[in-house]
Amino acid sequence: MAKKRSSTESFMTLGHIALAGWALVVIVPLLWTFASSFKTNSEIFGDAWTLPGALRWENWAYAWEHARIGKLMLNSVVVVAFSTFGTMLLGSMAAYVIARYKFPGNRFFYYFFISGLAFPVVLGLPSLFLIVRNLGQTPGIGDFLGLGTTPGLVLVYIAYSLPFTVFFLTAFFKTLPHSVAEAAMIDGASHTRLFFRVMMPMAKPGLISITIFNVIGQWNQYLLPRVLMQGRSGVEDKYVLTQGIAQISTTAGYEAHWGPLFAALTMSIIPMIVVYAFFQRQIQSGLTSGAVK
Amino acid sequence: MATVSYKGATRRYPGTTRNAVDKLDLEIGDGEFLVLVGPSGCGKSTSLRMLAGLEDVDEGAILIEGKDVTNLPPKDRDIAMVFQNYALYPHMTVYENMAFALKLRKTSKDEIDRRVKEAAKLLQLEEYLSRKPKALSGGQRQRVAMGRAIVREPQVFLMDEPLSNLDAKLRVQTRSQIASLQKNLGITTVYVTHDQVEAMTMGHRVAVMLDGVLQQVDTPRNLYDSPANVFVAGFIGSPAMNIKTVTLGADGARFGSMLMPLTREQVTAAGDGKVTVGFRPEDTDLVAPSEGGLPIVVDLVEELGSDAYVYGHADVNGEQERFTVRTDGRSAPSLGDTVYVKPRGAHHHVFHAETGVRIA
Repeated sequence: MAKKRSSTESFMTLGHIALAGWALVVIVPLLWTFASSFKTNSEIFGDAWTLPGALRWENWAYAWEHARIGKLMLNSVVVVAFSTFGTMLLGSMAAYVIARYKFPGNRFFYYFFISGLAFPVVLGLPSLFLIVRNLGQTPGIGDFLGLGTTPGLVLVYIAYSLPFTVFFLTAFFKTLPHSVAEAAMIDGASHTRLFFRVMMPMAKPGLISITIFNVIGQWNQYLLPRVLMQGRSGVEDKYVLTQGIAQISTTAGYEAHWGPLFAALTMSIIPMIVVYAFFQRQIQSGLTSGAVK
Repeated sequence: MATVSYKGATRRYPGTTRNAVDKLDLEIGDGEFLVLVGPSGCGKSTSLRMLAGLEDVDEGAILIEGKDVTNLPPKDRDIAMVFQNYALYPHMTVYENMAFALKLRKTSKDEIDRRVKEAAKLLQLEEYLSRKPKALSGGQRQRVAMGRAIVREPQVFLMDEPLSNLDAKLRVQTRSQIASLQKNLGITTVYVTHDQVEAMTMGHRVAVMLDGVLQQVDTPRNLYDSPANVFVAGFIGSPAMNIKTVTLGADGARFGSMLMPLTREQVTAAGDGKVTVGFRPEDTDLVAPSEGGLPIVVDLVEELGSDAYVYGHADVNGEQERFTVRTDGRSAPSLGDTVYVKPRGAHHHVFHAETGVRIA
């Protein structure tokens, strides 16, 4: 008995050491980025462990003004807001139908979504580029949806996020009790109302976790906007945050302003930390709700 | 308020060979409290769900108030259902749970408020109206589920083992509440349970099912007094009836040394050689050795205070058979005693040895 307890304890200790190491791996680069946002170029290329000589808020001001962080952030917020909303609406409806209704082709649609998970997005880029370009040449909707348009990017983000969203939510909807749905049917709810008034609220923990996951994933998306936000005059005004920050480092070549770049990076991280802090409780309950019965 | 008719209603689950419910014919009167009872898997819940529209009817028809509802969705049948696990909406308050169906029917706010408050008063839920289901006890949740059904004022109540998640004491209490509630409201009710005590105490009539087939439907008294076959005889009554298949003589059934007299008609109907007879533990007396009873060795005595159940075995025609007898609690025999058992008067039941059908 005593031996068993001590082995559990040593396992816990090892676990804590591993977690502490993991935390350092995550936190140190973040702190380094934050510290570097106050440094000069020469300080940055000097010893990485030194603190900045002064709190150079001018780096932040430079990033805000010259790199137009405010504008970029607004663009990102708009894109992520629409695409997350679209992903959640379509994803939850698709997952609900796949999880709760029997119809021919049910498995086919499920695996079709899953196959999207197995497909590396890099491989799809050329064809995705062509599809969006062709969409842009379609009369009527072309100006609205083609390359270098915000709605076009939103559409691609939604398509990109659906596979995991459907995969996750299908499993979640399957765990919800059937009798509640049956009670609602007897109470007179239509399929639509049953979904929006009863099943959606019951799936809230799952919906919240996957929403956070999508918000963070889409906020950090670089590859897709890099490929799709081009080929239109004035497209720079529609750049999302990741693109804009990358531009700071590339446009100036080797003369890059590293301090302002780190300031811009820090600013781009803050909204995500705020979102996470705000929904932390829901994320945890969402992640564990499947495990605890 | 309405009548309900099952007309040859059959349900076969895809991929199975046996019908879950097989040609069910059942007429339920206006305002009647009908209980469907049977062991698990007998098709009683499926029958109820067919009436609710939650289960397809593969053959036959179901009528409510003479109107064919076989292919109508649940919401067009004007029924309300109470589920075993209550199936309350977890994100809504008690008030919203009860008001949901009325809101969907576009009932006016005042009317909803009046009906919900009325039901809440009836079920003593008034102080819990703003709580969510998870902040309620099991008994309170059960009452909310009842309330949700009552506010609808439906034509038919359907209840699927609504008491089985309650503890024993609360179950007995709620049992009588539901029965009197149904009496006051006068709404036709179909109630499913596996508990024969619930069935007997609540139902105006009780329908006993086995393997998807309706065995007998009658008043509790008639089910108890004249079960239609061996299954019903063994299922209704607790402890179960002593049912034995024994040798048939010219003047009755032979239990080893004891003769159970049968009429000439019964002997003729029983056919050749064997007959199945049953007698209830409560219709049995312990008698003196000289009175011609069956000698039984006592294996176990259950003392219930007022009564005692004596379980024992006897050698009947070369086989060890087990018997149960109810006796007075104050004069119960001890373990290992030999007692003499005699069925009382004409309270025994006779069935055909092969078919199990009652012989009058």
